[in-house]
Amino acid sequence: MSTDTETRGALGRLRASPFLADLLTNRLAVVGLTIILGMAAIAVYARVTYDLGALASSQLGTEVTDRAPPGWLGPAPATQQLFGTDAAARDIYKRCLYGAWLALKFGTITVGTSTTVGVGMGIIAAYYGDVTDNVIMRTMDVLLAFPPLLLALALVAIFPRDLGLWRAVVALVLVYTPRFARVVRGAALKVLEDEYVDATVALGATDPRILVRHILPNTLAPITVQSTLNFGLAIIDLAALSFLGFGAQAGTPSWGLMLSRGVENGLLTGQWWLSFFPGLFLAITVLGFNLLGDGMRDALDPRMREAVD
Amino acid sequence: MAAPGDPPRLRSYVASRVRLFGSGLLVGLLLGGLGMAGWTLYTGDARASEATVFALGALVFGFGLLGWSGSILAGNGIEAMQEHMGTRSDWTEKDSRRAMARLCGGGGGIMVGTSVVAALL
Amino acid sequence: MNWTQSLFRLVEPVVPPRFVVKRLLLLVPVLFGVASVVFAILHLAPGDPAIVIAGQRASTEQLEQIRQELGLRRPLWEQYLSFLWDAARFDFGQSYSISRGNSVRSVIADRLPITLELAIYGQAAGILLGIPLGIISAVKQDSLTDHVTRIGALTGISVPIFWSGPLLILLFSTYLDVFPTSGRIDSTLFLPDTWTLFGRELPLTGMITVDTVLLGNTEAFLSAAHHLFLPALVIGVYSTALISRMMRSSMLEVIRQDYIRTARAKGQGAKITLMKHGFRNALIPVVTVIGIQFGTLLGGAVLTETVFGINGMGLTIVTAIGVSDYPVVQGTVLTFALLFTLVNLVVDVTYSYLDPRIQQ
Repeated sequence: MSTDTETRGALGRLRASPFLADLLTNRLAVVGLTIILGMAAIAVYARVTYDLGALASSQLGTEVTDRAPPGWLGPAPATQQLFGTDAAARDIYKRCLYGAWLALKFGTITVGTSTTVGVGMGIIAAYYGDVTDNVIMRTMDVLLAFPPLLLALALVAIFPRDLGLWRAVVALVLVYTPRFARVVRGAALKVLEDEYVDATVALGATDPRILVRHILPNTLAPITVQSTLNFGLAIIDLAALSFLGFGAQAGTPSWGLMLSRGVENGLLTGQWWLSFFPGLFLAITVLGFNLLGDGMRDALDPRMREAVD
Repeated sequence: MAAPGDPPRLRSYVASRVRLFGSGLLVGLLLGGLGMAGWTLYTGDARASEATVFALGALVFGFGLLGWSGSILAGNGIEAMQEHMGTRSDWTEKDSRRAMARLCGGGGGIMVGTSVVAALL
Repeated sequence: MNWTQSLFRLVEPVVPPRFVVKRLLLLVPVLFGVASVVFAILHLAPGDPAIVIAGQRASTEQLEQIRQELGLRRPLWEQYLSFLWDAARFDFGQSYSISRGNSVRSVIADRLPITLELAIYGQAAGILLGIPLGIISAVKQDSLTDHVTRIGALTGISVPIFWSGPLLILLFSTYLDVFPTSGRIDSTLFLPDTWTLFGRELPLTGMITVDTVLLGNTEAFLSAAHHLFLPALVIGVYSTALISRMMRSSMLEVIRQDYIRTARAKGQGAKITLMKHGFRNALIPVVTVIGIQFGTLLGGAVLTETVFGINGMGLTIVTAIGVSDYPVVQGTVLTFALLFTLVNLVVDVTYSYLDPRIQQ
């Protein structure tokens, strides 16, 4: 019950701040938000309507033609698919829609986990200071200096192969966590500078209480911005790892894997639909998150903005 | 090694560094020894455990060393850039170097601890 | 500052040699650190090197023999020290599978120039286009140009290389047939291994556009440039988008600062003010970030090489991880780290030239 009040308090503060108002006047951010909501709707629709097993399995031997172009181009539109079919005679349209579900699901898991871990580390570093702070944050700084995709590749080499897409998720969580830790630590330090935390300490509040009640709600805005910016990155990097063969297992309707098959099977033969549609979905989704993230950063309180990159 | 006749400045210079690295080393020794023993009890394969724990130590050691040299390499630049951009981050080269020296010591300790326990087993 | 002074500033050694030497010496611990990490990768990675070499059906005795040969039965600290010694001499032994029987050193020597060439063109395009675009965008903030540039840059970082690459190949190679789909030079052309300068035979660089110029072979140069165009375009667009975004925000930061307003109030023309005070100051943070971004660019090179089937370092590391060819993974990771550090070293020196406050 008390947490309820706390959440409402945080939301109330968010609404009262010019943040939301600024954000909604930013036309590009609204476009981004619309794209994301649309993609989420597609994802849920695909998850409810289609069967993953059917989309992943090869349907060779049925009456469906192998690598047929989109229906509206082909000679006999009635029997053909909107986005055509792939080398295993699977419907690319359905696979693209289902790919939205996979991208958003694994993107959420990746960003959610790195946010949680990063928030924990950042707040602990800010609150305890001294050696704890120094060792945690400097480690994060060094991790930040590594090129993201190359670090992820090196990590992927360490994890067992049978983890499948989870291998990519774990690698990317390690890559992204430092960003969140840094943002949160910066924001938390500013909150700690405010007098009321001192006052709470004087009143005898215990450590975890101060962390959860006072510091966390006040760092919500920068965390949200960083998460949004990172969401686009996570989706693109997950797809990249799948594309390189270190993510989704063969047959999975993930955009990265579909693109990889499209490059393998369709480039020389001119079967453009194999790679065009999955890439289009991927690019639009990422653009949506980048538009929204940029808008949010601009709308953010300048005091908090500097930490977000 | 600080000889008794050395000027005090050098002695404190060495001592502070030895203390940083040494505190990490002690923690590492403990972690490495316990890790090696515990992992062997858990998996029952001393050779594989030695490889895993030692490799983790090498990872921490290498990471610390990288961070240490990286802080010196890029430290001035980063500090100046933050000052230039007016961002109020309290990153300093010194802090970073010290944290990395600790990590480096810790990694080294893990490697030594693992090897000692492995030799005893 | 008149023009003679500026000229002198370019000629005199503005960066003290000690500054550079200190940084070069630091490369030793950097590589030592990377080597330790790389050693850890081999021992933490799943799978048994002996099985990778001998195959799944090898007998237990065979596997045991290979393990003995590889030194995997010695105590770990012994393996670690000998690995460091080998790494110091850049000797990672022989490739297990992707280039079986060849030393990792020769594999890297073959493939590094290919990636370097791609990365250099990409970075050059990014700097030459990204910086001016960012400045224009900042100076004309909220104008149509600004909006177009910003949306373009945002699209540039949102469109993955492994989508734009295939689409360009489909359009320009498969359908229009104006660019080749893959390869580095026309298959009918052969390049010698050496070139001659004043009667002395010298080895070639391995960067094909440079080599063809050294050889004075115009036809081969045109063919190489023709092959390199699409991959360099893909990576160049990406790097342009990244740099123009950074340059814009850095320039805006500077324009907002007081001294620019003061200078303007003193009656200097807006353009001169901007060039004199703004550009140099805005460039400082961007230069630092360009070094860090070079890593992102190398990541981009991995994807570009995979799309265009260019057999450089990127494709090599991806293949090597896929088939657990650990010596090659170790060698390529170390090389990437060295490359990344060297670029950042150059950036650091450039940076201290731009902002002499940091030379101490």
